[in-house]
Amino acid sequence: MSLFATRGLTVRFGGLTAVDHVDAGVEEGETLGLIGPNGSGKTTFFNAVTGLVPATGEVVFRGAPLPGLEPHQICRRGIARTFQASRLCLGLSVFDNVLIGMHTHVRCGLLEALFRRARMLSEVRQALKQAAHLLSLFNADLVDRGFDPVGALPQIDRRRVEICRALAAQPRLLLLDEPSAGMSPEETVELMKDLQIVREEMPGLSIIIIEHDMFVIEGVSRRVVAFNYGRKIAEGTFAEVARNEEVREAYLGRGSGTEGSARA
Amino acid sequence: MPPLEVILQQAFNGLMLGVMYALIAVGFTLFFGVLDVIHFSHGDIFTLGAFAGLSLTFLWAAVGIGNPAVALLLTFLGALVLTGLIGVAAERACVKPLAKAPPLMTLLATLSLGLVIREAILIFYPRGADPKPFPAMLPQGLFEIGGVVIRYENLAILAIAGVAMVLVDLIINRTRVGASMRAVAQDAEAAQMMGVNLNRTVDFTFFLGSALAAVAGILNGLYYSEIHFIMGIMGGIIGFSAAAIGGLGNVYGAILGGLLFGVLQTLAAAFIPRGSEFRDVVAFAVVMVFMVFKPTGILGEKTIERV
Repeated sequence: MSLFATRGLTVRFGGLTAVDHVDAGVEEGETLGLIGPNGSGKTTFFNAVTGLVPATGEVVFRGAPLPGLEPHQICRRGIARTFQASRLCLGLSVFDNVLIGMHTHVRCGLLEALFRRARMLSEVRQALKQAAHLLSLFNADLVDRGFDPVGALPQIDRRRVEICRALAAQPRLLLLDEPSAGMSPEETVELMKDLQIVREEMPGLSIIIIEHDMFVIEGVSRRVVAFNYGRKIAEGTFAEVARNEEVREAYLGRGSGTEGSARA
Repeated sequence: MPPLEVILQQAFNGLMLGVMYALIAVGFTLFFGVLDVIHFSHGDIFTLGAFAGLSLTFLWAAVGIGNPAVALLLTFLGALVLTGLIGVAAERACVKPLAKAPPLMTLLATLSLGLVIREAILIFYPRGADPKPFPAMLPQGLFEIGGVVIRYENLAILAIAGVAMVLVDLIINRTRVGASMRAVAQDAEAAQMMGVNLNRTVDFTFFLGSALAAVAGILNGLYYSEIHFIMGIMGGIIGFSAAAIGGLGNVYGAILGGLLFGVLQTLAAAFIPRGSEFRDVVAFAVVMVFMVFKPTGILGEKTIERV
């Protein structure tokens, strides 16, 4: 049985159907690529899964239905995500940002803070150690810069911190919304290596990754789903999807091959 | 130039008004900071807090709690909880259902709710149209320092308001629910993705803001020895203005704005010829000047972390 699956997932904004009866799923430990032109409903799909926008249809995660749950409950069930535009706390330090991701696992409360300082401090230390471990998977320098504000870091390190923040919640399913957005090709290659390290270190983690960059998709995911106008138009290995007629049309336009505006 | 002790005396009197305004303003600024709404029935929640406090003093007298300190503490606690819950009910009725609607709708809905609360007090509170005498529960007496007369009662009011403000600061900056409030203020969606319960955080924000309004209401009753069902109109407008001068969304700004407004009002009344008639004109003129030249307020919301 798959870890996560949607059946007929649909999101409507007034007259516009942004996600149209999508069936998609991911197995435990699998990385699924999600591609499609701008406005094809990829991010809306994430928003629907995480409960940020109301949707109809079925979503099953770890054997239980998700619809009807509040976003924070879905997070606590084990789905974490990053956003296309970074939404870190730029004024806070690298460590603080990662610790934010762990806050649902914190057991100490007001009583411990007031009367059992030792216990609380040990929990904080434990969390810091875990944060440092996560950061070191990506870039050992980040640990050294752990007390610097995130706003002082370059784009790629910010993205790494954001992924670490999502991983800090110990999710079973990680949703990455265009992690390479706004990066140079060199940075994109680096980030891909990072994702492969995460893949090896956390074999049980499932990932769904939205990307425009076909190169990234080819590098990290074996199976790919393609969206257009909110519908799933293709599914299969990268090579299969890349050959698919409808996908080529969606990306390149009808009678492709001659137009100069082709991307991907 | 009037003598220094007269200026100091008036400034002290202004501080008294200022702390009450500040407590109301903090509510406005919390609602705006966390949820981007302007909750215009907040002034009437303040009235409600005062009437809840007054009713409780009768209750304590009826059940025979004679000790004034105990009665006062119970009055505050009871009114805080009651008013806080009413604030949460107001949010559930008028703010949450309109979360996706244009802001103007929330404004209109809360404005109307304020009217409903005001009229309900008028109609349902026994002889609601009359000003209600508020019992003196604070230590009486006074002393003089450098020509400035200070009443024990006023010191107690300052102390209570001060404690309330310190507690709010601690709640916002040192507790988990406070961290949730700051997270929602910064980015509600990302906060939810980190596991923050949005509804509970918003409920708590309205509980906290409304409870502060209750503190302000009771202090108002203790200070003027009388409360009236329409006191929320001015209370609300001044509280909102104070929050705006301070920088909407900034708690410290709201406190500063409240104090500034109170001091301005009193100084205008004392030192401008026929000033007591013009004190609101002067104070609101300053609000207008602020809106024109520094619309983000003293501690503009963007420069310092909000809520």
